[in-house]
Amino acid sequence: MPSPVPDDDEAPGLRKIIHVDMDAFFASVEQRDNPELRGKPVAVGGSSGRGVVAAASYEARKFGVRSAMPSVTAKRLCPDLIFCKGRFDAYREVSGQIREIFRSFTPHVEPLSLDEAYLDVTEDIRGIGSATRIAELIRQRIREETQLTASAGVSYNKFLAKLASDQNKPDGICVIRPGEGARFVAGLPVRRFHGVGPRGAEKMARLGIETGADLATKDIAWLRAHFGSFADYLFRAARGIDLRPVRANRIRKSLGGERTFGKDISSGPELRAALEDIVEIVWARIAESGTQGRTVTLKLKYTDFQLMSRARSLPRAIDGKAEFARVSRAILDELLPLPMPIRLMGLTLSNLEGEESEDRPPDTAQLSLL
Amino acid sequence: MKATIERAKLLRCLSHVQSVVERRNTIPILSNVLIEASGDGLVRVMATDLDLQVVESLEAVSVDGAGAITVSAHLLFDIARKLPDGSQVSLETADNRMTVKAGRSRFQLPTLPRDDFPMIVEGDLPTSFEIPAKTLAELIDRTRFAISTEETRYYLNGIFLHVTDEDQPVLKAAATDGHRLARFTLPRPEGAAGMPDVIVPRKAVGELRKLLEEALDSNVLIDLSASKIRFTLGGEGGMVLTSKLIDGTFPDYSRVIPTGNDKLLRVDPKSFYEGVDRVATIATERTRAVKMGLEQDRVTLSVTSPDNGTASEEVPAQYSSDGFEIGFNANYLKDILGQIDGDTVELHLADAGAPTLIRQDSNSPALYVLMPMRV
Repeated sequence: MPSPVPDDDEAPGLRKIIHVDMDAFFASVEQRDNPELRGKPVAVGGSSGRGVVAAASYEARKFGVRSAMPSVTAKRLCPDLIFCKGRFDAYREVSGQIREIFRSFTPHVEPLSLDEAYLDVTEDIRGIGSATRIAELIRQRIREETQLTASAGVSYNKFLAKLASDQNKPDGICVIRPGEGARFVAGLPVRRFHGVGPRGAEKMARLGIETGADLATKDIAWLRAHFGSFADYLFRAARGIDLRPVRANRIRKSLGGERTFGKDISSGPELRAALEDIVEIVWARIAESGTQGRTVTLKLKYTDFQLMSRARSLPRAIDGKAEFARVSRAILDELLPLPMPIRLMGLTLSNLEGEESEDRPPDTAQLSLL
Repeated sequence: MKATIERAKLLRCLSHVQSVVERRNTIPILSNVLIEASGDGLVRVMATDLDLQVVESLEAVSVDGAGAITVSAHLLFDIARKLPDGSQVSLETADNRMTVKAGRSRFQLPTLPRDDFPMIVEGDLPTSFEIPAKTLAELIDRTRFAISTEETRYYLNGIFLHVTDEDQPVLKAAATDGHRLARFTLPRPEGAAGMPDVIVPRKAVGELRKLLEEALDSNVLIDLSASKIRFTLGGEGGMVLTSKLIDGTFPDYSRVIPTGNDKLLRVDPKSFYEGVDRVATIATERTRAVKMGLEQDRVTLSVTSPDNGTASEEVPAQYSSDGFEIGFNANYLKDILGQIDGDTVELHLADAGAPTLIRQDSNSPALYVLMPMRV
């Protein structure tokens, strides 16, 4: 059940929040399971054609290899890069293990993806004494039970806990105590703020904002004038304030991504090529989040800013990237030729597993052999 | 390089190799075929996608200058297709161009140097054996429909080959997508003893099957290591397909092959197939399940669709166990029934939730396992 509490509703009292994030998760699992990969630059993802990097080991990151980067770019930056195909069953298994560990410390666990989660440990059900100690115990158990390392951030809200877990990566911990939040944020480049992407950071730089401290000098009216609905979040973030509760039963309704093109496109080959790119990126997100869904929606924005979308549903969850690509292509092919060029294309997966849906045939399911 | 080739020969050869070339490539040379003319009148044509390469040799009408060059595979194929039947095609290179001439047509195509053309390093291929091309073709036909397309379980994206000693030494081929399994068994060829377990990728299987069609009456030489496999086929000038193998562990599939299924159903595969196909007409994408009601010497096939109504059909059968109902994906069932050549097919069933074993009879080299659907 989604919580009826709006995001910014005041959570009573001082909270203790931990953000746990596995270090270079997919790549670390590969290195764990294949000793030959240890100490070497490894990327999980398809190496050929339009493949993208889903995860990069720390050895690969030294060369500038990042997730969501096209594999050809990664290979150029790091010619010795070793590509592994993703083994999402293995990642899901580890994800299940770490969630078990989290839940042994608190029922208030909000997973963000297969490899990270927020925990609210305000209530110390095992009487361990401190949130920092709990975070250390969690990291220790993860290491023992999965032979993988995790980093943890401990603070009094989600925003700061997430910043903290990133602070001493890999295999590190960072604590931001009450009263330290504003100072911690002041020294950070705005790019580190969740939700500020390369373009957002660029815009801020043009406006003279480089760090949290710069952002804190701006009043809410000024921020609203420049950043619209994003302003309230930025205003609070610059002061280290975040009142969002940890939502244990948060249900995602859909997962997707879209791209705005540098120049409008209309030809079949261009559209198909663009679609393949978006399939790669969106599937990487789907795989990472570990969700399964059965409806694919293709969204197009024409040059005149008119939006149109078409969806197609399967009787069961989409079974792998190839099927996701196939369904996406089928939707696009039905729309061709387009009446005018488009400026944006997006793909969304919805009807996610676990969601109740009315049109699912009752009790019809293919049983599995393996 | 200058060579003249019969259009029909060139076209046939290009039609084999061009499908190896991916339509979209970020590395330009992978869109090309390598053409190599040698002084003895042979022309070799090669294509690769870095995981799979095919080399085919053909006899030229004449080679007036030995040499090698690479040129767009799909362009050259499309040109060869459109050239008049019976014509002779001359391929000549000069100044980074290749001139293609036939009759009154003349094309100048851009080229890339042959030295940039990537070759798969085969390394040592210690296992070597021969199989009749017909047997290899049957092995592929009987198993490849069950290959998984799910990329997350990449180790299922091919045909698994392994040798084992049972009553006698055998070579087994297996493929599964997690819902159904197909296995083909043949006596172990001489030389295959001790070979590593290998998984031949789906694309290599498809390309190989096409090549086999050209050389069905000869033997295929198979050389392999744990990471590469090479198939050498007869045919006019010979065809060689080399592929990387899938680097993964195929699951121990023998444990999903049921041995104690005591309910035996015998039907005519052809009328059964047609019955399933007919009732499945009203099955939408959402409800592909076809229900089988088993009674004394009778099977009732039925489909219920919320949108399209209902369908049912009775098929005569031999059945004497307790009656029950079981559901299957209609397409999976048809895939398997389509593989059975004889007049009867045996379905060994246990219950509505357990794997069903399907085969022509206990002597047939092919065996199938199908998991039911809940209906």
